[in-house]
Amino acid sequence: MIDEYAVEITALRRVFATGKGLRKRGPGHVALDGVDLAVRKGEVHGLLGPNGAGKTTLCKILSTVLLPTSGTAKVLGFDVVGQTSRVRESMGIVFGGERGLYGRLTARQNLKFWGALHGLHGKALRTRVDTLLERVGLTGRADDRVEGFSRGMKQRVHLARGLVGDPAVLLLDEPTTGMDPVAAKDFRSLVGELRAENRTVLITTHDMVEAEQVCDRVSLIDAGRILATEPPAALSEWITRFERVDVPAAPAEVVARLRELPGVGSVSTEDGRVRFETTQEGVAAQLVRALVDEGVTSVTTSKPSLEEVYLHVFGHNGMAVRK
Amino acid sequence: MHWIRVFAASTVNAAADFAATYTWRTWTFAWLSRIIAQVLFFTLIGTLLGSPDKQRFLLIGATVMAIVAEVLFTCASSTWERRAGTLPLLVASPGDLLAVFAGRSIQWVPSSVATSSVCLLVVGPFFGVHWTWGTALALVPVLVVTAVTTYCFALVAGAFVLNAMDIRNIVANVLGALMTAFCGAVVPVSYWPGWVGQVVTLLPTTHGLRAVRALADGGNPVGGCVAALLTGVLWLVVARLVLHRLAEHGRRDGTIEFGDS
Repeated sequence: MIDEYAVEITALRRVFATGKGLRKRGPGHVALDGVDLAVRKGEVHGLLGPNGAGKTTLCKILSTVLLPTSGTAKVLGFDVVGQTSRVRESMGIVFGGERGLYGRLTARQNLKFWGALHGLHGKALRTRVDTLLERVGLTGRADDRVEGFSRGMKQRVHLARGLVGDPAVLLLDEPTTGMDPVAAKDFRSLVGELRAENRTVLITTHDMVEAEQVCDRVSLIDAGRILATEPPAALSEWITRFERVDVPAAPAEVVARLRELPGVGSVSTEDGRVRFETTQEGVAAQLVRALVDEGVTSVTTSKPSLEEVYLHVFGHNGMAVRK
Repeated sequence: MHWIRVFAASTVNAAADFAATYTWRTWTFAWLSRIIAQVLFFTLIGTLLGSPDKQRFLLIGATVMAIVAEVLFTCASSTWERRAGTLPLLVASPGDLLAVFAGRSIQWVPSSVATSSVCLLVVGPFFGVHWTWGTALALVPVLVVTAVTTYCFALVAGAFVLNAMDIRNIVANVLGALMTAFCGAVVPVSYWPGWVGQVVTLLPTTHGLRAVRALADGGNPVGGCVAALLTGVLWLVVARLVLHRLAEHGRRDGTIEFGDS
């Protein structure tokens, strides 16, 4: 059923010309390479990938500010190339960082401006703005200039701005970039509210924990390709399976012995520090116990980076930041 | 109505920017003083030439060119959208880009009308430009027409430099200099070859300046105002086309950046 999907992407490809001006020639840089993706209505869908994976390019195409080189993308059945007006009416965009707001305007003025662009006016606009300010917890600062806000507060204004047109589909591009953990947690709970309102949310992130916490499904993207679409439970499992155990120093014979433990994937040493990477759930705890038994008491465990998970799961190392 | 509402909403941004740029003291004692000094500079050339007519001619021409110089700040203030990172959001919104940009830099219009009014009504009489109550009252709307229609032209320049932010001030200064030279501010349009005269008839400033001169000479400014309005509408249409092209070009080549990327 086509109506089931809020976002449908088929064989989407975007190639950027390399060079400048008249020197634009050559094969170009492939930012998206045949992306297929379907996001159900009311779903919070994560797009997880490292910098340069193609997440923002995909968001740009969906939000109609970039044309695909080939393939199709539809939002609520409207084509992002030929039916831009309908797409723009039904979509809200929120991106992370400091930019995208008018710093010299107050939070209320910012929202009123963007509301006017979405055709709101008069009492309806005032009511919508007041409601959103209350929702994002900025009623008390509504008439303060945004330039004086903290990053977390600016992000709340961003979210309110994205919602001012009452969109059925919301694009959140790295929305928690630069946020402190408390603000990021608050933001994630707001995303939960959006799900409850049956809005479709497409959220890009390179934070596995964030993707796991807020998404119904997560598509893993790298080098412009969707590698897999998984439930958040898979991320959770990967995070615990590929844990790291670091020790500042350990006797060589102890390291050699622990290297042989089942579920220890790799052991690396740098400046005397030893890092064990696990490949099975629960092995990190075993390692910690074994190290303590051997008299190594300074032990740190940490979650794997996205790059490490990609390496383990997809078996490639194409994770360098691309141009 | 949607267009007007978006325009009105955008003027709030213009007012905020203006308030951040000037206080009433800095506007009066810095900006207005600078404009008066600039007008006096040109006017005194006429005085040195010993010609009251040239003195009057230069005072009026320099005053209207002060409107041009200020309104061409639109080149800079249009690019503020790009700097703020709001351009992709504007392109991706259902609103009209022209309505946003037309409101965005409107602050230069009332400011330039105010400075030019002071120059003509207060400084002018010291240099032989005299006004009756009637012509003085008529002067302000004529200046408004001149500033607004010149602003329509400046919106085109502002739209162009959105993709060339580094040269925004160069574009504004070069355009200002060319208009000062060719639109009849310091020498009559008839001084230049005929084709130059024909080209500058496309610029609203030429007609606005003609209307101000007509009024100062006790004549009828309506013809100049109508021509200014017609050419102003023409440039407004061009501005819309250029903004549309900017958005479409940006969609093709990916020059509309997202967020901090």
